[in-house]
Amino acid sequence: MTEDFDLILDECIDRISHGDSLADCLSDYPAYSERLEPLLQSMYDVQEVYGSAPSADAKRAARHKLYAALGKRYRMPLWSIFRAISRPAMLATVAVLVLAIVGALVVSSVFNPPTLVPSPDGNFAFLISDKPGDINDFENFDVTISEVKLQPAGSKEWLRLTPEIGTVDLTQVQGEQFQEIWRGDVPAGQYSRLRVYVTETRGNLKSTGQTIDVKVPGNVVHMPIPFEVTDDTVTIYTFDITVVGMADDGTYMLKLQINESGTYQQPKAS
Amino acid sequence: MSKRNRETTRRIDEHESRLTSLYEEYYDKLVRYVYVHIGDREEAEDIAGEVFLNALKSLRSGQEQGMPSQWWLFRIAHNLTVDYLRRTSKRGLVPADSVVLLGDDDPADTAEKKVEFERLIEAMKKLTAEQREVISLRFLWGLTSKEVGDVLGKSDGAVREMQRAALERLRGIMGVQR
Repeated sequence: MTEDFDLILDECIDRISHGDSLADCLSDYPAYSERLEPLLQSMYDVQEVYGSAPSADAKRAARHKLYAALGKRYRMPLWSIFRAISRPAMLATVAVLVLAIVGALVVSSVFNPPTLVPSPDGNFAFLISDKPGDINDFENFDVTISEVKLQPAGSKEWLRLTPEIGTVDLTQVQGEQFQEIWRGDVPAGQYSRLRVYVTETRGNLKSTGQTIDVKVPGNVVHMPIPFEVTDDTVTIYTFDITVVGMADDGTYMLKLQINESGTYQQPKAS
Repeated sequence: MSKRNRETTRRIDEHESRLTSLYEEYYDKLVRYVYVHIGDREEAEDIAGEVFLNALKSLRSGQEQGMPSQWWLFRIAHNLTVDYLRRTSKRGLVPADSVVLLGDDDPADTAEKKVEFERLIEAMKKLTAEQREVISLRFLWGLTSKEVGDVLGKSDGAVREMQRAALERLRGIMGVQR
């Protein structure tokens, strides 16, 4: 019985890691759902707390130290690859490496969702906007978005798009203003949700010039709003956020404006 | 330079080049791995950076002869984490990270969630090192139970059991009612 449960829990963890929802898994195992749910919720919590990307500054500093220790950038010279291939013993090594690379590509196709190609006349655009609020306390407030993932309804897979404009200054996109960060073709159909991966949020206060870093747990914002993409219109998706100051301790947080976020359709330019 | 020295230099160059690729691929995962064990994000970032510097030292000293791999880095990270925990256990627990949340909740809800996250970090410290290892490799490194078993030298059944026990213990410690 416990062994069965361990297997089911394990399967659900794998499914959720590949984009399946908690509800789907629970509905497949109704007899275990009461026991499964809190454990899977703990998994979500662990991923939310620990799964965020390290700060961009720390990563840059670590890279800088590594390259400083290396002294120069090392690259394997092309001639040495050809020389190596000419030796029979190395041929076997190369064959193993090729197999490893093919294996890695297969694994990577499972874990890395396909990336959509941007195009100026595409049927989908992703915009960033900012509801006016405490953003006026800031000279500038940069939000860096590394990627956006979309999940087609009923699918376990995600589609990925990489913003052409990664960093947006929220002070410049208040109210009706916005910044389009990606436009391209997305397969037509229903989409159940979207995730926005935020790697850096930093602003400079007008009053003191102080730089404020705002941490985003998991560095990901979940947008549970379903939407539809069609071939004959442009679906505009607006991601609206605002900066809110916490009166008690002078810190700031980012707040998702769920009511201001979502999609609308525009005729496609002919 | 003799032929042998040239070969050695070429091998070290290749390995160092591989190390820079591994840095881009695994730095984030190493930070998360260390963070799970020590509960302090900034320290985890420093330790992950140290992993690559130690790896480079081993390559240059000839201590490590094979092509660098993620598992080798993982081993270095594991050793540095153990050293860190040994050092800090003499000074008391490391304070939990302070987090500011992004969400569509009210500030009051957000504050509550922040407290919950800090409790989770504290609860993680109460798991056994092996349970944290399973959680880290499974949920954050993205390995299957079979792969975690290979890393830890255990069967996949044993890993599944540890995984369930770890999650149950986390729930038990936190006493969360949802």
